[in-house]
Amino acid sequence: MRKRVQYGADAKGRAVNEYTSRRRMLQRTAVGFGSLALHGLLSRDGQARGPLAARSSLVPARAKRIIFLLMSGGPSQVDTFDRKPLLDRDHGKPLPFAKPRVQFNATKNLLRSPWRFRQHGESGLWVSELFPRLATRVDDLCMVHSCYGTNPAHGGAMMKLHTGTDRFIRPSIGSWLSYGLGTENENLPAFVTICPTLAFGGVNNWSSSFLPAVHNGTAIGDASVPSARARVKYIKNSRWSLATQRLQLERLKRLNEAYLDRTGSEAALEARINSFELAFRMQSSIPEIEDLSGETAATMKLYGMDNKVTENFGRMCLMARRFAEEGVRFIQVTHNDDKVQWDQHANLKRDHEKNAREVDLPIAGLLTDLKQRGMLEDTLIWWGSEFGRTPTAETGDGRDHNPEGFTMWLAGGGVKGGFRYGETDDYGYYAAVDKVHIHDFHATLLHALGLDHEQLTYRHAGRDFRLTDVEGNVVHDVFA
Amino acid sequence: MGCRMLRPAAVVLMFGILVGVQPRMLDAADRREIASRIRFFESQIRPLLLAKCVGCHGSKKQAGGLRLDSRTNLIKGGESGPAIVVGRPDASRLMAAVRESDPELRMPRNGKLTARQVEQLGRWIKSGAVFPVQAGRDRILRDPNHWSFHSLRSPKLPGVKNRNWPRTPIDRFILARLDAEGIAPAADVDRRAWLRRVTFDLVGLPPSPEQLAAFLGDRTPGARSRVVERLLASPRYGERWGRHWLDVARYADSNGFDENVAHGRAWRYRDYVVESFNSDKPFDRFVTEQLAGDLMAWKGQRQRNEHLTATGFLSIGPKVLAETDQAKMRMDIIDEQIDTVGRALMGLTLGCARCHDHKFDPIATSEYYALAGIFKSTLTMRKYTKVAEWHEHLLPSPEATAMKQVYDQKVAAAKRDVEQARASAREAVRKRLDQDRSADKSDKELEKRFSPEEMARIKKLANVVAALKKAGPNLPAAMGVTEDKITDVKVHLRGDPQTLGDVVRRGVPAVLRGPPAPRIAEKTSGRLALARWLTDPRHPLTARVMANRVWRWHFGRGLVVSTDNFGLLGERPTHPGLLDWLSVRLIRDGWSIKRLHRLIVLSRTYGLSSHANAAAVQQDPDNRWLGRGRVRRIEAEAIRDALLAVGGQLDGTMTGSLLKLKNRAYFFDHTSKDLTTYDSHRRSIYLPVVRNHVYDMFQLLDFPDPAVTTGDRTSTVVASQALMMLNSKLVMAAADGLARRLQSEADGIDGRISRMYLVVYGRPPTAGERQADRRLLAELADGNGTPSKGGSVNEAELPLAAWAGLCHVVLASNEFMYLR
Repeated sequence: MRKRVQYGADAKGRAVNEYTSRRRMLQRTAVGFGSLALHGLLSRDGQARGPLAARSSLVPARAKRIIFLLMSGGPSQVDTFDRKPLLDRDHGKPLPFAKPRVQFNATKNLLRSPWRFRQHGESGLWVSELFPRLATRVDDLCMVHSCYGTNPAHGGAMMKLHTGTDRFIRPSIGSWLSYGLGTENENLPAFVTICPTLAFGGVNNWSSSFLPAVHNGTAIGDASVPSARARVKYIKNSRWSLATQRLQLERLKRLNEAYLDRTGSEAALEARINSFELAFRMQSSIPEIEDLSGETAATMKLYGMDNKVTENFGRMCLMARRFAEEGVRFIQVTHNDDKVQWDQHANLKRDHEKNAREVDLPIAGLLTDLKQRGMLEDTLIWWGSEFGRTPTAETGDGRDHNPEGFTMWLAGGGVKGGFRYGETDDYGYYAAVDKVHIHDFHATLLHALGLDHEQLTYRHAGRDFRLTDVEGNVVHDVFA
Repeated sequence: MGCRMLRPAAVVLMFGILVGVQPRMLDAADRREIASRIRFFESQIRPLLLAKCVGCHGSKKQAGGLRLDSRTNLIKGGESGPAIVVGRPDASRLMAAVRESDPELRMPRNGKLTARQVEQLGRWIKSGAVFPVQAGRDRILRDPNHWSFHSLRSPKLPGVKNRNWPRTPIDRFILARLDAEGIAPAADVDRRAWLRRVTFDLVGLPPSPEQLAAFLGDRTPGARSRVVERLLASPRYGERWGRHWLDVARYADSNGFDENVAHGRAWRYRDYVVESFNSDKPFDRFVTEQLAGDLMAWKGQRQRNEHLTATGFLSIGPKVLAETDQAKMRMDIIDEQIDTVGRALMGLTLGCARCHDHKFDPIATSEYYALAGIFKSTLTMRKYTKVAEWHEHLLPSPEATAMKQVYDQKVAAAKRDVEQARASAREAVRKRLDQDRSADKSDKELEKRFSPEEMARIKKLANVVAALKKAGPNLPAAMGVTEDKITDVKVHLRGDPQTLGDVVRRGVPAVLRGPPAPRIAEKTSGRLALARWLTDPRHPLTARVMANRVWRWHFGRGLVVSTDNFGLLGERPTHPGLLDWLSVRLIRDGWSIKRLHRLIVLSRTYGLSSHANAAAVQQDPDNRWLGRGRVRRIEAEAIRDALLAVGGQLDGTMTGSLLKLKNRAYFFDHTSKDLTTYDSHRRSIYLPVVRNHVYDMFQLLDFPDPAVTTGDRTSTVVASQALMMLNSKLVMAAADGLARRLQSEADGIDGRISRMYLVVYGRPPTAGERQADRRLLAELADGNGTPSKGGSVNEAELPLAAWAGLCHVVLASNEFMYLR
């Protein structure tokens, strides 16, 4: 048998198995967030076998990070970005073709949009009155009108959107990115999710599942608390000051080193010593990002922090920018109130308007701010939800869930601005032209970050897993 | 694909694979790489060649003298020369043809390849043009002679050089292998560490200072054996090992998935598992009860209830309860059951065969649907309309009868109240109508004239009845399965319930030789026959998989590392002889798990030190050959239980539910408020297991995903764990508890420091440690964390908080959480 193992000795002359300890660092005991550094170590000693090593990007990276703006519940495509004149004309008539075999609830006849659409910007893309501020940034947006999924229930569709499957517990897309790219900042996780909802898949939507735990999303609060009170769990001690903790950590370090002498060199034990150091640094670095006191009044206004309606979501968007600046790879922001925010089975007019008011200005502000700072070029903004809504009416002016055709949009990160891709049918029910399945969308997102979705695999339970399972085609046309 | 270079030997062996030679000499990584290339070929390239090329260039027709149906033929080529040059797509005529770069050479005729297909074809040629022959592929990838499908052998004990070393037969197998590898085993671990190891291992708690003293004081032969007997007899044993089984059974108190509703009665299954381990229920019986308890003969209602509760194993899996496609929901639930039975009991990924023949194991889709018939004839759900509801068994007992009586009386009384209210209201109306002789005074007419107040009063009382009925008597019940309409299932093509193929008779996979195929009677689902077949002593997998699980839970690594996959993609056993020997012993010992524990923990191998000489570490870095002990972290539950134990807070109450939600209630509504609390001080196994939202302390410490079978937990080290150890209430409270305990159990600073080390680590402190601890105490005593000036500490000046600060450090340390 070939010896694949390299040996060395540490400062005390103990035998150290470099290969084992590094491989374990990656696979089982990966400490901290410095996966890129580990990647470097692996390449350096020629061990091109680690889970990261074989995955040097085959496609050039356009973006370095993603900010995902999740509109939980399913905004209606035909009321926001996907204008349908025939829906207007045929209001009250039956849908002239079959509804899907499987529907969530029964719906009745066609329901026209209560909002007018106008063309905006140089590109002349259509946006409804719901998003007046965002409409001013339309030349940055790349609309994908032909998205579709398979699951018409929130839970399944959310899991599909985040993990690519609604049948199993699989790693979230943020975890895949963390696994594939590592982080740019050793003091922060690569994947954070701000105020996520605990319903509809809950933590599974940001879990690393079988990927090493270091790729887990770090939740900052959850949907039950306002963003002003959102915190990373266990980030602060209720009794000891940082200075006192430093003293405790010194003693802890000595105890752990003494134990290491008794066991002999052991990767996990060494990793655990370092993990306390990183944890200690995080206790300062994360609160620093959450502290907005250094932002100018103009910036605060840009995100709508001066307004009660937009303050909560505005803070999330501003925090997202700050995490992006610090090198976090995947930052998710969830718009979710104490109902399922965008889930208008009834009262579409009243509630879609309320929802849009909360996010319209902050999102426009985020785009403007990123552009001003030169960050939009390498930051991919992804706006979307688990599904869209039916063009047919449910209860009064309500619409049911519709995974058959809906709009998500991208901005920045090397995509074409002021561009539309794909179409739904005349009424906006089914994706019809240049269809983009969730798997395709995922493949495209990974592609933007320089990852080939077919090569980004992880071996678990006897087979290689991918975010896109055995599916997925990159939508090359959206890239500039 | 293609990025990693195979070493030359592997390339040679790869061709071995292609012609059907056993890839025994390949290491795991090479095997994986080759498997990955074959997979790529089989999924992308072979179908392409078949669809686009072989029609004209195959066995029937050879246009241009060219055949594209084997690697040899591709290299040989046709009249115009070779079709491919291996490793060089740009020099391959095949690529030129499909790229249509040469106007003379444009292929295929029946439609241009897509850019992606062209790229894949190029990639395939570049990475060696792997092209297994069909027969060879079947022989290897779906190898019916795979080791784990063979019957158990009763291997002879191997000879060893040093006959004095082995203490038990297990040690003979281990030492023989070490001899062969030229590795000298490590020394025996010291007695303190052995006691700590075996105590955590068997009961999941640290040894108390008293237990330690007793063991260290017992120098007579059999001292270790007595410790083991004490531990196995403790009810704490079932809590520890029952939890291991719950990992396999994907136990949870909530459904998870889309509709995360409470499994309000799953805890009865959990208690059943704990009790089964404590009573050392034979494993064959344990399995049979879980698959078919409802169909077994019973003596007395107690046993009947136990059997019904056991079938919860099949019911507690995650289900998509809001699946609007009911046919799909039903098949998804069946799939989950097949997959769990496959992984948990046989180490097979049967679920893979739902849509296609298993790619790697010799399991055909038709065999999957033979099993599906068994589970489709089994009733798991009482309603499939969203939100769907699972079936529950009522568990009759004198208590249940009494509960029912109380309930019935309550309902009757509430109904009486309504009737009385009506009667008195009628009386009142009658009085009001007294003068009106013409009025119709039938009850019906009187009731029409009730005043709003009378109506409201009656409504209020009627609501009480309705509420009682809605709540139901809440009689003792357990999740579980029973027989449904007996049916065979048609093959679902590509797994789609809408496209059906031939009917398959209920049955089991044919490749597993040993026991005769079960005979499933017409009028039964076949679950009992399935269980009998699985627990037949001749079954090749059941005993092996369980013996390996037990080994894994003792050593932190299985003899077969992939505990849940004994198929072709699983790892091979490091010690095949030992695995079979253990499996045969397990069966011969009446499937007693406790006997298996004794065999293992009293072996010399189990008691080796983790500290080995550098040469041994070099030679066997992963400790595959078990020449030394394995340093390992204790599991999430053991960490919490140990924290509570040393902090003097542990509550030993057994059984029952800590769930605060009603059965089938949602864990999270849209507000995301967490209603589940984990502040109980009972052992961890009794804490609610909420899918989608596992207790965060557990989640951080690698508690497995409770939606799938897990026999081999991971053990990660991440900074968020350190944050939890530094700042969580749980650890702070344990430190406070330990500090108080030290105050009451020992005197003086030195006495208390000594006691602390004994309680937490099971050893006295060194002089240096004592000194450093005194210094930290002084620093902490200052309150602000600034070191106090003098240096020497007056005991009276030491506040409890300073002690808690020191205890916190000791509890956060590696020595507390790792076994050496």
